[in-house]
Amino acid sequence: MPNYTLCIDTSAGTTVAVLQGGEIRSEIHFDENMKHAERIGDAIAQAVAAADIAPGRITNVVVGRGPAPFTGLRIGIAAAVMYAEGVGAKLWGVTSLDAIARAAFDAREAAGANGAADLPLLVTADARRSEVYWALYSGLSKSGAPIMIEGPGVAKPAALEELLADKKFDRTDIKINAADLGKVFEAQLLDGSASQNVTALYLREADAVAPKDLREFGKRVSG
Amino acid sequence: MTTVNYKIREATEQDLDAIMLLENSCFGNDAWDADTMHFEVVAHHTYYLAAFEGTTEEGQLVGFAGLSKIPGNDQADIQTIAVSEAARGKGIGKALMLDLLKEARRLHAAELFLEVRADNPAAQNLYLNLGFEHIDTRKRYYQPDDVDAWVMRLQFSKTSIGREPIVLGIETSCDETGIGIVRGNTLLANIISSSMDEHARFGGVVPEIAARAHLEALKPTLHQALAKANLSLKDIDAIAVTNGPGLGGALMVGIGAAKALSVAIEKPIYAVNHLVGHVGVDILERGELETPTVALLVSGGHTSLLLVRDLINDVELLGETIDDAAGEAFDKVARVLRLKYPGGPEIDKAAVGGDPKAIRFPRGLSLPKDMEKHRYDFSFSGLKTAVARWVEVAETKDEPFNVADVAASFREAVADVLVTKAVNACLDHKVPRLLLGGGVVANARLRELAQERCEAHGIELRIPALSLCTDNGAMIAALGAQLIMAGRAPSSLHFGVDSTLPVTTVQTH
Repeated sequence: MPNYTLCIDTSAGTTVAVLQGGEIRSEIHFDENMKHAERIGDAIAQAVAAADIAPGRITNVVVGRGPAPFTGLRIGIAAAVMYAEGVGAKLWGVTSLDAIARAAFDAREAAGANGAADLPLLVTADARRSEVYWALYSGLSKSGAPIMIEGPGVAKPAALEELLADKKFDRTDIKINAADLGKVFEAQLLDGSASQNVTALYLREADAVAPKDLREFGKRVSG
Repeated sequence: MTTVNYKIREATEQDLDAIMLLENSCFGNDAWDADTMHFEVVAHHTYYLAAFEGTTEEGQLVGFAGLSKIPGNDQADIQTIAVSEAARGKGIGKALMLDLLKEARRLHAAELFLEVRADNPAAQNLYLNLGFEHIDTRKRYYQPDDVDAWVMRLQFSKTSIGREPIVLGIETSCDETGIGIVRGNTLLANIISSSMDEHARFGGVVPEIAARAHLEALKPTLHQALAKANLSLKDIDAIAVTNGPGLGGALMVGIGAAKALSVAIEKPIYAVNHLVGHVGVDILERGELETPTVALLVSGGHTSLLLVRDLINDVELLGETIDDAAGEAFDKVARVLRLKYPGGPEIDKAAVGGDPKAIRFPRGLSLPKDMEKHRYDFSFSGLKTAVARWVEVAETKDEPFNVADVAASFREAVADVLVTKAVNACLDHKVPRLLLGGGVVANARLRELAQERCEAHGIELRIPALSLCTDNGAMIAALGAQLIMAGRAPSSLHFGVDSTLPVTTVQTH
């Protein structure tokens, strides 16, 4: 029986893919950075249908843990948790930025190795509030898993430039794709570094200020 | 708001003359003759209703409707329905239909059929809203007008043929992750994981903290619910999930979870209204919800007064808070009195031995001028400020004051205004039932006062068990099961969150 992997990421848009032994069987992308709750059901149903398998045939569920804006990120993780429960599949977590790094390194290799090949790669993603999530990668492991050397973090772009000022690195503007998330997972599985931790990588505290004097009504902290 | 100024009862032979008058005026050339109508009204396999003007004394006949269900046949038909022209647009047709639907369900009909003129969109919409679908068209059925007939069908229990559906309900609208399981009207599991403690240092629910907690709680709560019900996910027939009203980010966690589960186990999903869920919970304790009923739902997020004529077809919002929810007022006043969060139980404790009449705090929206516009609405912001000012003044004067008196007087003001308006709603609408729901129902004085006033007015008071009053998944599952048993089609996979979902939208498609 072949192993089918359902890959879900809602760190940016809603992207879902089904992989089987390194081969992409289907991928569904909704690009909007909102409406994850509306899209997630259709995206999963369509990806599974396009892979031409029954939903119960999924044996692994891989989900992007972010870092990402909270509200959308959680929808993908909640969906992955429940899908895995529903079909009795194993649940795995992958850092979403890893998927972008993998795609960028793959693209670099496809373009033919040149001087840039040895440079580290900076991956960033929109964190809203004029900030970015970032991580720096040195390359891929033998199996193809991205090797993170710094991050993940969240910073204002200017602060990030300052932090990395004395480093040489390459950048990428590739968008996240759940299929790349699945490729990272398969490589990590070979490396023995695949993780079952699906905790959201928020990187920011919940936005709430405990009032100094709870008797003040000024700060509205209730929903 | 339309006031209910009609009365419906079963029709008898004595009503025939009046029925024939209305029949002729409504259907003209198409009208049945008196013999046919006589047979229909008195036959054993039919059920005819008549609607009359007036509530106390029986006035003129303004409508009638009939159902036919032959024993042994699981199909039933709406034979006819008529409402006098002058009385249309008052919900009489809908009320007659709801009664016939109830009877058809009672007689275990699997399908209910009717025909309606193709040129009558008002009637078609009424039937569509009740769950009928247009399945066929009979060409030129109505003569001599040469108008087509739509054949419409309502399927009861479409997804659970032959048995009660097992429904898993997911609730994440505020700070409790609730997963419940029901079989039809029977409660199998009701597991609640609350993030209340994490909000304590903020003095109120922090939406982001609540949403994070939901994500963490999903899996363990699901496992506990399945274990309690002694079931596996393979046994679940359908999933119900709250899609509003509530905190957007929190609701989305439940929706993402529910949709993925629905796809994974290949079972239908029903997106349901949180507040209507609070009302439906009574079914789990009594096997049915007696209607009509007024429902007072009071929590940290809501203070709403509903008139429920039919749980899944006819819920009306009579009023709600225009500022703070009652539970929020308890939390804020607790802070003023340097008590802990959540404020309700703390104020209850502090009020022991206090004099509820010591301080006359204001009753929001209770003055005659407010009662005109806001008869069933609530306001607790002024009350909260009044308590804060009172305490401030006392402290400035350096006068010691009795916290028990302040707590008791504040609590009295909240309970008084809640119960007064709820009882008014029952009396105004001649509804002899009041159902309480929401976390604030835990408040001892509210329960006591509701009991007193309801007894005095001959109103039956229902207070579900506290574990069913606070936010929970069982109530969501129960409402889902009601929709399924009424033959409602499942929701699509594209529905989203509606933080301000109105109570009139029981299910989002």
